[in-house]
Amino acid sequence: MSGYVGNFTAKIRKKARYVDPTVCNACGECVKVCPVTRPDGFQMGLSSRKAIYIPFPQAVPCSYVLNMDDCLGNNPIACGKCSDVCEKEAINYDDADEIIVREIGAVVVAIGLDVYDPTEMDEYGYTRFDNVITSMEFERLICAGGPTAGHFVRPRDRMRPKRIGFIQCVGSRNPKIGRPYCSNICCMNTIKDCLLLADHYPDVENTVFYQDIRASGKSFEDMYQRSKEAGSRYIRGLPGDVEEDAETGNLTVTVENTTTGKLERHEFDMLVLSVGVQPPKGMGKIAGMLTLSRTSDGFFMESHPKLKPVDAPTRGVYFAGFCESPKDIKDSVCQAGAAASRAGALLNAGQIQIEAITSRIDEQACSACGLCAKVCPYGAIVWSKGEPAVVVEAACAGCGACGATCLFGAITMRHFTDEQLMAQVRAILADKPQDKVFCFACNWCSYAGGDMAGISRIQYPASNRVVRTMCSARVSEEMVIEAFRCGAPVVLVSGCHYADCHYINANRQTVKRMQRLWDQLEKAGIRPERLQLEWISAAEGQKFAKVMRQMEELRKTVTLEEIEYARDALKPKPKKRAKNGRKKSAAVAT
Amino acid sequence: MATTTSETFRCMMCGHEYEEPVEKGEDKERSCPKCRSNSIRHLKKKKPAKE
Repeated sequence: MSGYVGNFTAKIRKKARYVDPTVCNACGECVKVCPVTRPDGFQMGLSSRKAIYIPFPQAVPCSYVLNMDDCLGNNPIACGKCSDVCEKEAINYDDADEIIVREIGAVVVAIGLDVYDPTEMDEYGYTRFDNVITSMEFERLICAGGPTAGHFVRPRDRMRPKRIGFIQCVGSRNPKIGRPYCSNICCMNTIKDCLLLADHYPDVENTVFYQDIRASGKSFEDMYQRSKEAGSRYIRGLPGDVEEDAETGNLTVTVENTTTGKLERHEFDMLVLSVGVQPPKGMGKIAGMLTLSRTSDGFFMESHPKLKPVDAPTRGVYFAGFCESPKDIKDSVCQAGAAASRAGALLNAGQIQIEAITSRIDEQACSACGLCAKVCPYGAIVWSKGEPAVVVEAACAGCGACGATCLFGAITMRHFTDEQLMAQVRAILADKPQDKVFCFACNWCSYAGGDMAGISRIQYPASNRVVRTMCSARVSEEMVIEAFRCGAPVVLVSGCHYADCHYINANRQTVKRMQRLWDQLEKAGIRPERLQLEWISAAEGQKFAKVMRQMEELRKTVTLEEIEYARDALKPKPKKRAKNGRKKSAAVAT
Repeated sequence: MATTTSETFRCMMCGHEYEEPVEKGEDKERSCPKCRSNSIRHLKKKKPAKE
């Protein structure tokens, strides 16, 4: 996938089916003769399939697929039985993957989820004990289209279980295994399973071990109460250990009931691990292709949690379903509808309004180093070796990271030019700089945090002076150095928290720049502590005030001698000039 | 598997120095375990002098 809003180009690999779906009538004769047997992934490995199969009962088109990794009939043909019996001659061993190129205007990312594999949580004995299964496997077992045709049996002896235990939050809300988030769907799934069992098998005893039941949603609490009334027992506490009786295959769990404070042991015929969900594999690749950012949990980050909940930070890209955050079917359908509407509105408009604050590159001054293209979080700068970089204005969001990175002054950010920002720095520090706390604040979070402190009437020292930039990544090293040159005793650079960055991940450039600046100050004999970095969100008025108080305390420790020393030590050096810029200038002169 | 190394950080606000495991390529917001400041400087390990 490449391009930008309204002008994406997608390369799609259409995998070979080896069966022509326009000819195949799904008679099933090929399956009868196929000698290969493999675990059926759709049935969670609880039954088997042949090398030629229909992926799942509701598959569209309803025709067979030949898995060439399993098939014996390819190169050289060693089997070919399915081809022999196919009267329609639908099987083509020479079929090949097809690459389709499509020009598209908008993208909806709906890549779904992966289910957590509980094997690493050894205390529950999954894969060690036959009768410990996951909620997904349970789902297949009770399904009429499942491996047992809806006959509910336990895996070890194919007997119907009478006592079933459900363990909640397996792979969810557990920071120890790196999954601190709630998977959102497991509580209601277990409640639904309990109701289903109570309806179909009234003699089955269900026990649910939980840490919290999260039944927030329309009629969800009602379902929870109904399952309790139907006889399901809910015990607050997660088991610490599961043991198996080698003879009967029954399972005994040890749990601290946190309601009574007592240690309890319960015996079950079958244990169901209510597994959490996780971002699907390959998310990183898609994030790279579409310049998307991800939360600490690994899910895609929306453009704004309240105002643009289905929009990606990259224009023309929208989210639907689990890839954005764990959600149930109803919410996924809502989000998909919203994403389709947003995409439709974009495409029907036929034209888009670009940001007023975009970057512009001076071709003459550009040295074609490509640094700007590397730091652009939107991939909005097109650059090839030896050629001046070009900004795709429709894709540029105006963070200014490129402008702060360019060593040759070739990039101008409209309305936030270097000259304008430098003039603000000099004007603020023109009079009594030693009494001022100098601050660069990003437009979306830190500056708004200052506003929040103001409207909340939170007191903080009046010595601070703020220069607003769209993103903390717009603050170049030269601007910070200029502030020290102008006599600033302390300088604060503040921006959005990592998860809130309005420009995907531009503030990571701020961190890199700060590391370089601290090194540079130390090398010049200046206390690096005089330069500070803080992430302040729009809601953190208290933090803004606290940081300003800390900065004021720090300012008081800086002596006039230190300020004078910094002025001298940071005197400007002759500017670098671009190689091809010189050549072009010379060519123009001649 | 991601490589994890132990790295040293210094809080530029309170001066607290601490070590933390860092996974290669990780993208994590850092704050001082003592004062919660975000002014965290990554102290690079000095290369041993050649004999």
